[in-house]
Amino acid sequence: MIADIFTVASKELREIFTFGDARGRSKFSLLILILIFGIVIPMQNGRDWVESPINIMVWGWMPFLWVSGIVADLFAGERERHTLEALLATRLSDGSILFGKLLAALTYGFTLTWLIMLASLVTINIGFGREGLLFYPLELTLGALVFSILISGLSASIGVLVSLRAGSVRQAQQMMSAGMLVLFLPFMLMQFIPEGWRDAVGNILLNIAPVQAAVGIALVLLIVESILIVIARRLFQRSKLILD
Amino acid sequence: MNAIQTDQLTRSFGNLKAVDRLTLEVPRGTVFGFLGPNGSGKTTTIRLLLGLLDADAGSAQVLGFNTRTQADEVRVRCGALLEHHGLYERLSAADNLDYYGRIWHMSKADRENRIRELLERLDLYKRRDEPIGRWSRGMKQKLAVARTLMHHPELIFLDEPTAGLDPVASATLREDLASLVVQEGVTIFLTTHNLAEAEKLCTQVGVINHGQLLAVGSPAGLRARTSAPRLYITGQDITSQVVDSLHSNLLVKKLQQRNGALVIDLNDLARSHEIVAQLVEAGVKIDEVRKERVDLEDVFLQLVEEERGGEE
Repeated sequence: MIADIFTVASKELREIFTFGDARGRSKFSLLILILIFGIVIPMQNGRDWVESPINIMVWGWMPFLWVSGIVADLFAGERERHTLEALLATRLSDGSILFGKLLAALTYGFTLTWLIMLASLVTINIGFGREGLLFYPLELTLGALVFSILISGLSASIGVLVSLRAGSVRQAQQMMSAGMLVLFLPFMLMQFIPEGWRDAVGNILLNIAPVQAAVGIALVLLIVESILIVIARRLFQRSKLILD
Repeated sequence: MNAIQTDQLTRSFGNLKAVDRLTLEVPRGTVFGFLGPNGSGKTTTIRLLLGLLDADAGSAQVLGFNTRTQADEVRVRCGALLEHHGLYERLSAADNLDYYGRIWHMSKADRENRIRELLERLDLYKRRDEPIGRWSRGMKQKLAVARTLMHHPELIFLDEPTAGLDPVASATLREDLASLVVQEGVTIFLTTHNLAEAEKLCTQVGVINHGQLLAVGSPAGLRARTSAPRLYITGQDITSQVVDSLHSNLLVKKLQQRNGALVIDLNDLARSHEIVAQLVEAGVKIDEVRKERVDLEDVFLQLVEEERGGEE
């Protein structure tokens, strides 16, 4: 099964990196993402872009954006282009198809995040590293490593469930975008609550030990993802998919 | 041992019986044509045989494996070209085949050799590195056939392989299929509503409508079993009295007039000269007399008509 998962994942990654995503963006769109998030924004932010531990929020959530852009295509797109039925008629198990696609989405989110982090590091060192080489703090590096995997996995598992329900890639992408809005809603609503309350929330957050908070969030993400993957595994069955 | 054996196989969708008590045997090494109009249950039968759908009742064995309990074993040994070609249009022809070769755990060298062999045979090798999105439908269908054969399956399912192709592309694909059948020695289960295709390719034919198997046998056997020998006569002065007199002749099983010609199904084709003599005596100026070969289309229409008659 492991070999089958890698077979499916490598084909998906080949399609993504060579030909772009469901929105028809070419491989040059990857370069544009790297240009914006790896050069333009770091240049605007200066040394803080690399050194501030708060940027773990940025590196943690970025994969959600990348993965949500492709995951709908991996499932709903395969069904829409009528390639899924041919795949279901092969010797591949349901699980190896599902996990192969999840692995591809996860690898894509993880790889893109780290490519952008690397580009950012080079940019900041060229632009602001006159006093010596600048590196990400260890806690940020480890946090980005863990969260880029977990958030990619979260986005991928939500995407699978959405794709299984959606009638088309477009519908799946719309549902993913709506889901993303819901996830970011608490942050957006922060500016509308009274200043006193905001300060109180800020104080609570500042008093939480960052490592403990990160571990707690990681555990919650892991549990949520596990539940989502179990549900996806139950829904992703030949006899159901063939009739969609 | 039969490649396919079903016993009272049944599958419904709501109130619709897509496959209704299908009992069928397909010997190994044959090209079996499954004929039926759209919506007759052909695709559902293939899905049941591949274990992609569960049957409501009855059972099926494919290559000796039960499709309900050993579906994985069935799919390991079969290839399938289903309703849509299912190729990845952003990938090249070689990459499409390579992917399926990897799915079947073929080694790199085996995959390369097999890709070359199949694509050369189908005259696609020179274009192996092109993304197939720009290819014609006929070329894609040929590539999809190659994909089903990639892993040397014992049995392949082809669901309407020439549907939607122009006549030239259909004829080319049929020729390619015919030669592949000989070279690969594979059992083929082919669904089609193209009767000429079935005549050309199939050694055995089954006719299905409303999920029920109406008849099964060789194309020639079916023609002999379901239709009388036929006489085709064109001429002048074929009056209604002449037609009436033919109707009363015991040799005549069925009489139709098509575009001014007489189409007569006889009980005994060897006595066709008696019909000609009767017409000459009645003053008909005969232009042409032809003993016409009844084609599978007539057989098919007759079977469907009989089924309708049975229902009424």
